[in-house]
Amino acid sequence: MIDNHQDNMTNLTKDDFVLVQKDTKISDKALESKPTTFFKDALKRFRKNRSSVVGAIILGILILLALFVPAISTKNIERTSKSEAFLAPKLFEAGTGFWDGTKKYTRIVYDIVNEVPADYYKPAVLNLKVDEKPTYIDQASKNGKGGFVIFANETKSPDKSVLLSSYPTLFTSSGNYKVQFLLDNEDHVQESVLGEYAVYLTYTDNGTAKRILLKDDSTDYGMIELDISLALQEAGLPEVKGSLSFELKSKENENTYILIKECVFSSNEETENYDELVNQISFTDATKMVLLARDEFQNVPVGYWSCSGRKGVHNSEIYYCDFLYDTYAVAYDAQEVTYAASDLQSYIDQGLCEYDYTIGPESFKKLSDECPIDSVIDQQINSITKKLLSVRANSYRYRKLGYKKMPKFILGTNQNGQDLFKKAFAGLRTSLMLGVCTAAFCFLFGLCWGAISGYFGGNVDIAMERFCDILGGVPWIVIMTLAILHFGNNFITFFLALCLTGWMGTAARTRTQFYRFKGREYVLASRTLGASDGRLIFKHILPNSLGTIVTASVLMIPSTIFSEATLAYLNLGLQGVQAFGVMMSENQQYLQSSPNLVVFPAIIIALMMISFNLFGNGLRDALNPSLKGSE
Amino acid sequence: MVKYVLKRIGLALATAFIILSLTFIMIKLLPPERTTGQESQQIAFYEEQVRLGYAYSFNMEKPELGEYLYKTNGSSGKSTYYYQVPVMKQYGSWLKNIFTKFDWGVSRKINPNVKASVIIGERLGYSIRINILSVLFSVPIGILLGIWAALKKNTMTDHVISTLVMVFISIPSFVLIIFLLLIFGYKLGWVPTKWPNPTDPLSYKILGYILPVFCLSFGSICGYCRFTRAELCEVMESDYLLLARTKGLTKKQAILRHALRNAMVPIVPSILAEFIGILGGSMILEGLYGIPGIGKLFIESLEYKDYNILFVDMAIFTTISLLAGVVLDISYGFIDPRIRMGAKK
Repeated sequence: MIDNHQDNMTNLTKDDFVLVQKDTKISDKALESKPTTFFKDALKRFRKNRSSVVGAIILGILILLALFVPAISTKNIERTSKSEAFLAPKLFEAGTGFWDGTKKYTRIVYDIVNEVPADYYKPAVLNLKVDEKPTYIDQASKNGKGGFVIFANETKSPDKSVLLSSYPTLFTSSGNYKVQFLLDNEDHVQESVLGEYAVYLTYTDNGTAKRILLKDDSTDYGMIELDISLALQEAGLPEVKGSLSFELKSKENENTYILIKECVFSSNEETENYDELVNQISFTDATKMVLLARDEFQNVPVGYWSCSGRKGVHNSEIYYCDFLYDTYAVAYDAQEVTYAASDLQSYIDQGLCEYDYTIGPESFKKLSDECPIDSVIDQQINSITKKLLSVRANSYRYRKLGYKKMPKFILGTNQNGQDLFKKAFAGLRTSLMLGVCTAAFCFLFGLCWGAISGYFGGNVDIAMERFCDILGGVPWIVIMTLAILHFGNNFITFFLALCLTGWMGTAARTRTQFYRFKGREYVLASRTLGASDGRLIFKHILPNSLGTIVTASVLMIPSTIFSEATLAYLNLGLQGVQAFGVMMSENQQYLQSSPNLVVFPAIIIALMMISFNLFGNGLRDALNPSLKGSE
Repeated sequence: MVKYVLKRIGLALATAFIILSLTFIMIKLLPPERTTGQESQQIAFYEEQVRLGYAYSFNMEKPELGEYLYKTNGSSGKSTYYYQVPVMKQYGSWLKNIFTKFDWGVSRKINPNVKASVIIGERLGYSIRINILSVLFSVPIGILLGIWAALKKNTMTDHVISTLVMVFISIPSFVLIIFLLLIFGYKLGWVPTKWPNPTDPLSYKILGYILPVFCLSFGSICGYCRFTRAELCEVMESDYLLLARTKGLTKKQAILRHALRNAMVPIVPSILAEFIGILGGSMILEGLYGIPGIGKLFIESLEYKDYNILFVDMAIFTTISLLAGVVLDISYGFIDPRIRMGAKK
């Protein structure tokens, strides 16, 4: 290598050297790379930070929603409409199974007779699933059936009796009257044991109560048949007006009971009356029997058991069901609504329908889909003027409520029937406005304060710092509380009170930055050239320190939103405007029954905070590259 | 050093005094709350106010003093009228009461005619217990997570931990409480959905601590994790750690003996400051979960306009925050010999 090199060197002649710029002038050339400014550079750095960009996009969407949703949405969030309260979030049509305005109900008592969950509106029930096996309860419920009548006696008390019908029935010795009852032998129910019982036919003879023994004290359980007519023949009575009664013995140290599943009377007498009576005092469904109760005039039904012990129901069958409940169908479905004649006339004038009251309901003709009335059921006419007063009509309730079509609430409605979506973003708009105003004020004021304190230093600085120490020592919650108690919870108070403590962060940051930069050579150079204090502050020091300060100010916006919400949870929330925190704290009490009312706002505010922080981190890295990556 | 500590404490006390004075005057400037309630209680309360020098009592009406606070119809037909003392005079009485007797007045509505200090004493226990548990829970977990993230810097583990920390630090505390309450309280039914009553069985009471402690810990776990990670990452890149490795220490030795010790320097003071912070309750958590601590007391006193209690509560919050600041500053100097607190340039 070296030898080669030396060979070449020796072979060079003077002619091999040429002056490159022999006769050309060397002058400045314009830079070929594109010029860039500080902010362009920052933007470039910001764009590289992917998570910050995502944060900025989400933040942008939320801000746009907050600005435009309250302006565009036509839903009314001022009025209270109880019938529309607690509607579920709905984005798709009902029955699609996802976000469709239905609420899931589980273990609701099923009404077997009407084939609908008890006390629910049938057309709104979807995906009904009734338990295949019944659940047994010891309670008489109007949706229950079957089971046993439990007739019980306490320990060490007199024998108790129960009359199987409240009104005496005529039994004859010739009528072949029989009674059949089914007793169950399930022991140890409700901490008691099966007891000994006897059966009598109780009747009154000339005012004195008498009874004929039908079955002596026994512990026979199962199907038992007693012949009443035979007993009457043995007693030598042709006919008796009486009731069948059980007598239950008490025990020394245990409560006793018997379980009666059914009790059926029969006779071959063919009088209609008697059949009916016999049917009324018989029972096969214990739950229904126990539910028989005195009516409002204290009259008792024929089959009512008057009892000196305790009667109740045991193992009554009840069915539970799971289903989806279309809350919108309940609130807005077709119903009978009464319209005044003037309302109807206005619809006719608008050309929505035709109606002639002299002909009647048949004359109604719907001309447009916008007409709230579907069909007229009947009409009412003033008896004197012979003019139409009102019509009763089938109508969709949403039309009556002022909607053109079935409304959809994306996030559902709150306890006052107001749209949560609009309310949330209207509240967010207020919060954002408060945040931006506060951040802007604190930025400007803190900047001036910090600049003066940091630039001049010395005694000015010490005095200003002590002032900050004292003001900064007061917890913000104390300041806010006092301000609200004095000046009420309106927007201006919130703004001023938040500003009162908010600017100190910016001021401290600015002061530090000024201490850092004021001794630099470029400042000194400018000073020696005779620059004024103002010029030094605003032209030389401030632009260098702006990045950190701006980032901190941007992050003041979410902290203000957080403060507003915190105060709302302390019952000090903003009043008179739609406020996010107030809405959340009001909805808090419905956390269990309608979690959507709390969960959606919580997601919105969490998303807002997260994206603000992501955005803020990116902004800090972009504006101040030397801090990149630090927390 | 002693001089600096004394100066710092003195300054904090002076600040506290000024703040409390201003707060007292601000509260006294509020329109007085005229209440209805049991007459004997009311009389006892206003008599106490007269004794403390915050009210006058007269046997006749004095319109020149403004509207009366309360009027009693005595048995002999003699009425007693209570009037407010001018605010600055009340301030004088307050100074006298505090410095001579440490008397903070009595409650008007929350626990009528019970001394404010007694009520605070009762309530403070709940807040302290929950906060101590949460500090004991969050400090080790937070620091360990931070160390783990720092040691695995720029790996998947680190990214997951850092992202989670960022997310949870951004979520407001009340949102977190809502979700925890909804999931573990209502949906799964593992923990009570509100603070257990005193009559509930012990096991249920212990379960009642889980949710509040968890809620409070979440924020501090994230805070400590982030702090520790940042500090440790910085230390790990320092020259002395490189020297420790080159002189033959294993990675474990280097981290345990050199990196961790130095990384803990700024963390330990903040733990100490947090221990001061256990005296103050979290208002939102106590309000939402119904914990009868001093945070809830603040909400209650605001609701009932029980200003004596409100003032004492505010005084406690102020003192705690100032004290925590002092402890933070001073402990820096004790823990890190490189920092000479209050040293001149």
